[in-house]
Amino acid sequence: MTYPDALAELIEEFQEIDDKMERLEMVFDLADEVIPFPHDQWTSESKVQGCQSEAHVHVELQDGKVLLLSGADAKLVQGLMGILTLAINGSAPAQALLLSPDFAEDMGILNSLSPSRSNGFRNMFDKVMREIRNYV
Amino acid sequence: MAIRDDFPILKREVNGFPLIYLDNAATTQKPQVVLDAMNDYYTSSNANVHRAVHTLAGEATEGYEACRQRLKSWFNADRAVITSGTTEAINLVAHAWGRANLVEGDVIVLTEMEHHSDIVPWQMLAEERKVELRYVPVLEDFTLDMDVFAASLDDAKLVCVVHTSNVLGVRNPLEEIIQLAHSNGAYVLIDAAQGVPHEQIDFKESGADFMAFSAHKMCGPTGIGALLVNADVFETMQPFMGGGDMIETVTVDGSTYQTNEHKFEAGTPRIAEAIGWCAAFDWMAKLDLEKEHKRLVEIARWVAEQLRSMGIPVYGRHEEKDSAVVSFLHPTIHSEDLAHLLDARGFAVRTGHHCAQPLLHRLGINGTVRASFYLYNSMEEAEYFVEQLKEITERFG
Repeated sequence: MTYPDALAELIEEFQEIDDKMERLEMVFDLADEVIPFPHDQWTSESKVQGCQSEAHVHVELQDGKVLLLSGADAKLVQGLMGILTLAINGSAPAQALLLSPDFAEDMGILNSLSPSRSNGFRNMFDKVMREIRNYV
Repeated sequence: MAIRDDFPILKREVNGFPLIYLDNAATTQKPQVVLDAMNDYYTSSNANVHRAVHTLAGEATEGYEACRQRLKSWFNADRAVITSGTTEAINLVAHAWGRANLVEGDVIVLTEMEHHSDIVPWQMLAEERKVELRYVPVLEDFTLDMDVFAASLDDAKLVCVVHTSNVLGVRNPLEEIIQLAHSNGAYVLIDAAQGVPHEQIDFKESGADFMAFSAHKMCGPTGIGALLVNADVFETMQPFMGGGDMIETVTVDGSTYQTNEHKFEAGTPRIAEAIGWCAAFDWMAKLDLEKEHKRLVEIARWVAEQLRSMGIPVYGRHEEKDSAVVSFLHPTIHSEDLAHLLDARGFAVRTGHHCAQPLLHRLGINGTVRASFYLYNSMEEAEYFVEQLKEITERFG
């Protein structure tokens, strides 16, 4: 899988760290990269199902480019949202849809990305991609 | 430690650290003898049970039925139906007994402490049969409100109660519950999924009418469990799953059924799992379970005290008969984040609602982190857990 340059660099940075706790700390720090989706706009439609944390996403187009707004009460989930924001924000929808969710595994953050009821990251990723697909 | 040496999985590392498995209330690890028994069966005796006359079929049947005999002797029960686990066992009561014996207006008493598997089957039956469900609340000290329970028994035909809460570790006053229920003419179902791993239960002496549990929470394989049934009550149950093995005769006009437990075990049963479960019983029989349980509750109580001293709320009381479960909610680190951070140090803990949402709603929380201890866990592991929790709190809290 080829990733956008910014994401590829980030993955490389993660792969250089042996300690998983340090990698998690880096993800937590990336929680600041999200474009906040205000709490008062959180609805059942924006909610990511199957997440243990309260997680919400909203996708819109700005000048034809993807704009992801998101937020979660768990730092890991919001950190992954931050990484997704760096990867797709400002891309054309068709380009953003090429992204694979494998980056979370390649970064050594999550062990399993199989779609399942309880895989919060995968559900979040799929929801964002579904919303982007609506604009294609 | 001898017990620990029997579990090959405990020698592995997770994220570069020795595995410390504290998710035993979800499932327990399997000793080598269980793995060997299942492997031996598939390697040398694999065949279907009850029908064929060849040697392998005989060995398979003997192995499968030995599990039933072991269940009857271990728990002192007349009837032991082998199921896929606790959930199927409870659903079996709902379908096989509930549909045959409950009518509109009857009452089923449940508690807010129940696992979803002891709530949802009754909600489904209630909708179908217009049966009323009453829930006994949980008090602030994490025990059932026994006054409400006693007052809920009018018109009750069945009481369904969890032996030991999978979230709180609280062991309910079953003796009192069964006595009160019976004196009001209600039958009693015990969800003993969390009880059997920690307590040697005498089913007949308990007086319960049904008891459901799973093998995998007591060092046995996944995919198998049992429903113990009082002999008289057994005769009032009707089969609900039709198929091979449960019939006497089949003609195009109709069928007649077996009269023993096979009546409720349609289809090819879980043969390898039954043989594995038998090996787990044999392995456990060599232990002093009472002494081990005492040790584990002391560990859980110590962990709970340590967490409380760190300002972390703990949900449970850890009395003598309770299970070794420590459910807590970190004040500054989200449970999901904490579980990942602990995983980074080799700890397996559970987070979330633990399939007990009504209980968490009563407690006013969405979920907890749960560390649950079992036979192979040590005080050293508990101390390391607390130490790492302190470090994580300092770094991320």
